[in-house]
Amino acid sequence: MATPTYDLLESVTLATAASSVTFSSIDQGYGDLILVMSGTTAAGSTPQCQVNSDTGSNYSYVMMYGNGSAAYSSAGTSGQFNLTSSIRPTVPALTQTSFMDYTATDKHKSILTRGGTATVHTDAHAVRWASTSAIISIRVFASQDFSTGSTFNLYGVAK
Amino acid sequence: MLLGILNSQAAGGGGGAYDLLETTTLATSASSVTFSGLDTLAAGYAHLQIRAVVRGVQSGTATLKANLNGDTGSNYSYHRLEGNGSSVSSAGGGSISFLSLGKVPGTSDSSEVFAPAIIDILNFSSTSQNTTARALSGNVGDVNNIALKSGLWVNTAAVTSISFANSSGDMVAGTRFSLYGIKGA
Repeated sequence: MATPTYDLLESVTLATAASSVTFSSIDQGYGDLILVMSGTTAAGSTPQCQVNSDTGSNYSYVMMYGNGSAAYSSAGTSGQFNLTSSIRPTVPALTQTSFMDYTATDKHKSILTRGGTATVHTDAHAVRWASTSAIISIRVFASQDFSTGSTFNLYGVAK
Repeated sequence: MLLGILNSQAAGGGGGAYDLLETTTLATSASSVTFSGLDTLAAGYAHLQIRAVVRGVQSGTATLKANLNGDTGSNYSYHRLEGNGSSVSSAGGGSISFLSLGKVPGTSDSSEVFAPAIIDILNFSSTSQNTTARALSGNVGDVNNIALKSGLWVNTAAVTSISFANSSGDMVAGTRFSLYGIKGA
């Protein structure tokens, strides 16, 4: 028998503006996690992410970006990673982020994300969190508050 | 369980709209991972998705490749859009002998570094269309890469097996491929 999966673990729809959303005590019974965000902010910002409250420079990334007239790629290491390159008022930014083998304790965590804001850009990011700890919490945040109605859904995918 | 491979497999049919069909996690190094019997295992599904984390035994960074139905002839085409941390490039070509899907890190990266790939094989059971695939893959390490890839198998046969391999040697223990079925209308 096939195993139905892609299970909704937690869903957050903001009733009031908020600077961050945290998923904690994440179910450890899946292979991958998928985070889907659709949101706006009061002013231009960047939706970012940390796991397990790790604020150290442990997130290495490579990304590519196109804005309708130019494309570029960058790479680096930081204390957080971007879900997509920007988020604005009015037109929602949409991101889909996979946390692969998030419970593995013998691997750095591989993260793939595709995102964009239709009137601004589209992009894709690969991220490596340099830790062998299982991911037990995910925090999404921005320098500007996420607007009311912004949604954050976390799914579990069996392996 | 297969020799040297932790393998869980479910019979086809039933389930929801997105179902886990089979997972292979290597317990020891292996040259390839194959999902076979898809005409049975994935009967009733419209599309397949494979979610993978891979690492190889080679010294540099290699290519994750796939062959369908054991076909290693020059019957595949591709397009890719990718970034390496400093520039974005695009390329395409035909008459190659495999689907090119992503990168495989090796010993130039620390042993904890694996590369992710999410691969979709669309209308895999069609006998009137050539088979198309797409992949989102990345690698953050000795070589930085983020890529969107499209692949074509120039054959109208239904896909009954998929074999994954590293272009430069074995894949190491801990490499994982999970196969999912996605229902259609």
